[in-house]
Amino acid sequence: MSRVRLIETTVLLLAGLLLAIATVNDLVRQAGVNHRLIADLRTWRTYTHHDYHTLSVEQDVYGHSTHEVVCGNTTPGAPKEREQICLVMTGPVSGGRRLVQNGWHLPPKAEDRRGYRYACFGSRTTQRPCAP
Amino acid sequence: VSAVAEGELGSSGTRSQQWAPALAALLALLLVAATAEIVLDGAVAHSALIPKSPDIAGWLRGIGERLGYRVFLIAILVFMGAYAGVLALARSISKRWAIILIGALHAIVFAGPILLSTDVFSYIAYSRMGIEHGINPYLHGPIAILHDPVYRYVGQDWKHVATAYGPLYTLLSYPLAPLGLKGAVWGMKVMALVASVGTLALTWRCARARELNPVAAILVLGANPLYVIYGLGGAHNDLIMLLLMMAAVSFTLAGKDAAAAASVVAGALVKATVAALLPFMILSRRRLAPILGGLAALGLGALAGYAAFGIHGVDVVAALNRDAAFVSTDSFPTEIAHLFGKPGVFPVDHDLLKAALVLIGLHLLWRTWRGYDWVAASGWTLLAISVTSTWLLAWYTLWPLPLAVITRDRRLLAATLAVQVLFIAHQTAPLFVPVQ
Repeated sequence: MSRVRLIETTVLLLAGLLLAIATVNDLVRQAGVNHRLIADLRTWRTYTHHDYHTLSVEQDVYGHSTHEVVCGNTTPGAPKEREQICLVMTGPVSGGRRLVQNGWHLPPKAEDRRGYRYACFGSRTTQRPCAP
Repeated sequence: VSAVAEGELGSSGTRSQQWAPALAALLALLLVAATAEIVLDGAVAHSALIPKSPDIAGWLRGIGERLGYRVFLIAILVFMGAYAGVLALARSISKRWAIILIGALHAIVFAGPILLSTDVFSYIAYSRMGIEHGINPYLHGPIAILHDPVYRYVGQDWKHVATAYGPLYTLLSYPLAPLGLKGAVWGMKVMALVASVGTLALTWRCARARELNPVAAILVLGANPLYVIYGLGGAHNDLIMLLLMMAAVSFTLAGKDAAAAASVVAGALVKATVAALLPFMILSRRRLAPILGGLAALGLGALAGYAAFGIHGVDVVAALNRDAAFVSTDSFPTEIAHLFGKPGVFPVDHDLLKAALVLIGLHLLWRTWRGYDWVAASGWTLLAISVTSTWLLAWYTLWPLPLAVITRDRRLLAATLAVQVLFIAHQTAPLFVPVQ
C-alpha cells in the first residue's frame, strides 16, 4: 500500500500546486480589475467635474480588453434619475487616471442601450450610435 | 560536552514548556478579539458584508464601527494566524481552557447579527411559505410570498428558487415560522448553536474512541475561522448535517451499524451531500445491518417527505442537478478556467468535473475495500465534492473537517486546511487595491 500512498501523495501535491497557482493568478487578476475600476471612477469625476460616488461601470472583468464604460448623472439626484453622461475609457492607468476615448448622453432612467444614446462626442463619434 | 548540551536542551525545553501556555493564552485572546471585532462592527449594520436583517443585535450597536472589507479581512487573517498558533500549541492547552475558548467564540457569534450570508432568510422564507401561506416550498421560490416580511431579506439570487434542502430540514424549520421574523431568526441561531455544540461533543467522543487527542480535535473544529465566522455566524444548516454525520460515525464506533446508516440518511434528508458517506460505511462494515438501517430510514424519510410535500419533496436528485449548474467566482474550477484564459466554466467543464469526481470516488471505494479507513475516505470524498464544485461557498469547505480530525491519515486534515487557506486568500483582493 505504501506505493499507492506515494502516488496519492504526489497527485495531491500536484493538485494543491495547481489550486495555489490558480488562486494567486485570480487574486492578481482581481487586484488588476479593482485598480482599473478606481482609475475609471476618478477619471469620470475629473472629466465631468462632478464629485458623484454613485456611478455605474460596465467592466470587462475577465481582462480580455481594457475597454470600460462609466455612466453617472449630470446633475445631483438618485442614481440614473437625471440625464446621464457616459464615458468610454481605454488603455493603461497613468497617474491614477485613464484615457477617455469617447462618450455619449443618456436620458433619465435609461439603461445604457444603443437606442437611448445621443449627443455623442470624442474620437469615435463617426461610428453610430456612439459605440466603439 | 554532551552532558552540558543535554543540560542546555533540557532547560530550553522546560523554558518553552513554561512559555507555551502563556503564548496559547495570548493567541486565544487574539481569536476572541478578532471574532468580537467582526461581530461588534457587524452589529452596526449598513455593511456590504452583513445581510439586511431584522434588528436582532441592536443592543451591540454603538461599540463598533461599520464593518468594511479591510477590517473584516484583517480580522479573518489575524484569526487564521492565531488559529494556526493554537493548533501548534494544542498539546499544552487543557480540556477546560479549550472548552472555555470555543464557548467564548460561540457566545460572541451567537449574540451578534447574521454574518456574511442571506441563506438563513431563505430557510425562514421556505418555512413561512409552508406554515403561514400554505405554499409548497419545493414548487415555488420565496417570490411566491412577495408581501411576507421575510421576503425583503431573501438574497436576490434565491428569490425565484425553490428549496434545495431535504424534507427533514424543512420539517425541522416549520415550528419556527409562527414565531415571527425575529423569533425565527433567533430560532435558527439556536438550532445552529445546538448543532455545533453537538457536533463538537461527538467529535470529542469519536477522537477519544479512536485514541486521538480529543482536545486538539475540538480545537481544530470549534476554533476554525470558517466554522465560527461563516458557518455559525451565518446560522447555516450545514451544521445540522455535520451533527448527523458525526452521530453516524459515533454509532459505528459503538457497533450500532443500522443506527449509523440511518443517521447518514437523516443527514442527507437535511442536505444531500452527506449521503456520500453511505457507500464507504457499507463497504467497510460488510454487514447487512447498515443497508437495512439505511433503507428503513430512507423509507420513513421518503414517506414523511411525500406526505408533507408531494413527489417534489423527495426528488433530491433534481435539486442537486439544478444546484450543480450554478457557478460562483470563488470556486476552484472558475479560478482554473481563468488561469487558462477562459472567461469561466462551460457545460463541458461540468461534465469533466463530474467525471473526475466519479474517478476519485471509485479509487476511494477500492481503497476502502482494501482496508483504508472509511471515515478518511468519506472525508476525502466530501473535500473532492467541494473542490470540484463550481458553486463553492465558505461553509462547504467545513464538510470534511470533523472527519479529518478523527482520522489517522493526517493528509486529509492538511488538505482540508490548505483548501480553506486558499479560499480565504482568494477573498483578500480588496486588501491590495481597496475599491473606493
